[in-house]
Amino acid sequence: MGEMPGHDDKSEDKDSADVVLDPRIQETIGNALKAHYDDLIKAPVPDRFLVLLAELEAKERQNGQ
Amino acid sequence: MANDEFREGLIAELSNLRAFAVSLCGSVQQADDLVQETMLKAWGNAEKFQPGTSLRAWLFTILRNTYYSLYRKRGREVQDSDGTYAQRLTVSGEQESALDLADFRVALAKLSEEHREVLIMVGASGLSYEEAAEICGVAVGTIKSRVNRARAKLADLLGITSVDEIGPDRNSVAVTHQSPADMARS
Repeated sequence: MGEMPGHDDKSEDKDSADVVLDPRIQETIGNALKAHYDDLIKAPVPDRFLVLLAELEAKERQNGQ
Repeated sequence: MANDEFREGLIAELSNLRAFAVSLCGSVQQADDLVQETMLKAWGNAEKFQPGTSLRAWLFTILRNTYYSLYRKRGREVQDSDGTYAQRLTVSGEQESALDLADFRVALAKLSEEHREVLIMVGASGLSYEEAAEICGVAVGTIKSRVNRARAKLADLLGITSVDEIGPDRNSVAVTHQSPADMARS
């Protein structure tokens, strides 16, 4: 594919920011990023965080009175 | 002193904090320690949060600073996990992406932190370029070029630098999403 400029680390600082990826590749990566993140988001939040918050609140209430 | 609204907001952002943390460190266990540390700092500095601004951006800033000051010192072994969390958090099931999630995570873990964080912030977590710029303490243009470089690097790592790798030729690029009718016809 002649349209894709070569990409290597040495030229990175110079001009690779101007490299425009094919829209389809951009979309593929964009979708994969969202799939990755959404999968993490869907994982249940461990109880330890809610326990921690309850402890922080209790401590605050104690100190406030 | 944290109020109820702040507490509710914090709870609502926990899953995002965790997703960002796992993406940064590549280890669930370390990510959870990082989230805990972030919560403690956020709680202690609640009065510094300006209502009306993005709580997510504010929390991401704390998490990121904590990561770079505490965790990253431990060295590269942190990032060599090669996406082991892929097995630990993944609810296997529908795959919306053309790429295999585990393969993608291995590639994502190979990116520099600088590249990985901007991709996650802008490309997945819903933060704006402006918010990402503020979080990283750089100009918006810098974030934009980092995102471009990060995408190009990721495409390299995934071996999809040519459209040939992901599907039909360039002429059909416009028809990225085939309708069921199209599929039936082909």
